Amino acid sequence: MPFCLRPDGWIARAQVWLGTLVEVVLPAPDATHSRFVAAFAAIAHVHRVMSAHNEESDLARIGRDAHRRTVTVDPATYAVLTLAKTLFRESGGAFDVTIAPLLARHGLLPESAAASGSRCGRMEALRLEAGLGVRAAAPIALDLGGIAKGHAVDCAVDALRAAGARRGLVNAGGDLRVFGAGDWMPVRVRRPAAPAQFLQPFDVRDAAVATSANYFRDGHGMLVDPCTQSLHPFPGSVTVVAPTCALADALTKIVALCPADSAAILTRYGAHGFVLAEDAVQGATTCAASTANLRLPHAAAA
Amino acid sequence: MLHNGWRILPLAALAAAPAYAAEYMTVEAAQRAAFPDASAFVPVPVNLSADTRARLAEIAHPPGARDPRVWRAVSGGKWLGTFFADAVIGKQEYISYALALDTAGRVLRLDVLEYRETHGWEIRNERWRAQFAGKSAADPVEVSRDIANISGATLSCHHVTDGVRRLLALNALLPAP
Repeated sequence: MPFCLRPDGWIARAQVWLGTLVEVVLPAPDATHSRFVAAFAAIAHVHRVMSAHNEESDLARIGRDAHRRTVTVDPATYAVLTLAKTLFRESGGAFDVTIAPLLARHGLLPESAAASGSRCGRMEALRLEAGLGVRAAAPIALDLGGIAKGHAVDCAVDALRAAGARRGLVNAGGDLRVFGAGDWMPVRVRRPAAPAQFLQPFDVRDAAVATSANYFRDGHGMLVDPCTQSLHPFPGSVTVVAPTCALADALTKIVALCPADSAAILTRYGAHGFVLAEDAVQGATTCAASTANLRLPHAAAA
Repeated sequence: MLHNGWRILPLAALAAAPAYAAEYMTVEAAQRAAFPDASAFVPVPVNLSADTRARLAEIAHPPGARDPRVWRAVSGGKWLGTFFADAVIGKQEYISYALALDTAGRVLRLDVLEYRETHGWEIRNERWRAQFAGKSAADPVEVSRDIANISGATLSCHHVTDGVRRLLALNALLPAP
């Protein structure tokens, strides 16, 4: 038997990419060796081109050269930067991928990731040109940690579909996407005050889910507020359900940084948010009723 | 937060599923996935001296590192590559994994075999322990086997990177096949 069979008949494989555990799960009839290979190859590709730690990645080349000349990047990087630029504008600067210098200052990224002379809040300086070109009006250092993992999941789902998989699930360290018009998939979110326990607030179908929290980081808030240039205190957790995992991943940061304004942005993208307080006796949601892709628990839908 | 489009979400249903474990592949399945043409996997005894262990620790020192299990993948009389089964223990995770190298020592595949939240983390984490206040070792602790549908389960896997660096260094010290 080439795989470990899950109790429910789905087969999972896991590899380490993007600094986390990436799982690909397929129903037994669809779980062929070549499909797993295709999905992990797609993840590995995103890992290579968007790594902050690799000197030959698109990010490193943009940091080194984009303020001097146009840098041609991978279509995946270009797609992520396009979405990042749109979300930067729509969130009034709350979603900002030019925070690498700030992360480096707080020891969350290597010093080398902060290009010489780069500052935060430079998203406006980043220009996307025809033919996958990236140009910067000033030195710029990018960190795609808030969106690349989600995009990698989307790329893996595309690869699985192209390889003929009809249903499946890809989970990159908690950024996950369920695809195919199959059964409802119950999604569990950790209880912020006791991360080893799970809440079970909803089911999804053909949708992506991402959660931001800092359950396992002692003393390190994982959110950086680009406006105040500080690490944002992060009580509780933010979960977003969206059509794509890149959107879900990025939108969690927007909800966390400006919850009051985020409902309108979520609605624009057909997304819903769940905010859990530290004690998690109750939370807040933008979801007023179940949808075709999201089913609320009975207590919440009542 | 009952304004700007947000409403209260009651969270009555608390599913307590402390810790999880997931098994992905057996060693044998990972061997076949890495070397589908191999006719045999010949074990290579690994008895590291204290000196060698110290040299390896200078290169990488993943927590919980022990001597890995090593095999030569062969087909007929031909050497195809080397296969390692190893494990690392991180702050929150126990990960066993398989590394396949070609004959030149280049990485062919890296597969996670098993993943589970560690006892070490359970012991060290105050909040984790607090939830079991009043429970004894005789009380059953439910272990969830499907990590796949947990959103926000981000756990660090960087110890695997340390483990791979250690295995690559060890590979250079193995006797020629």
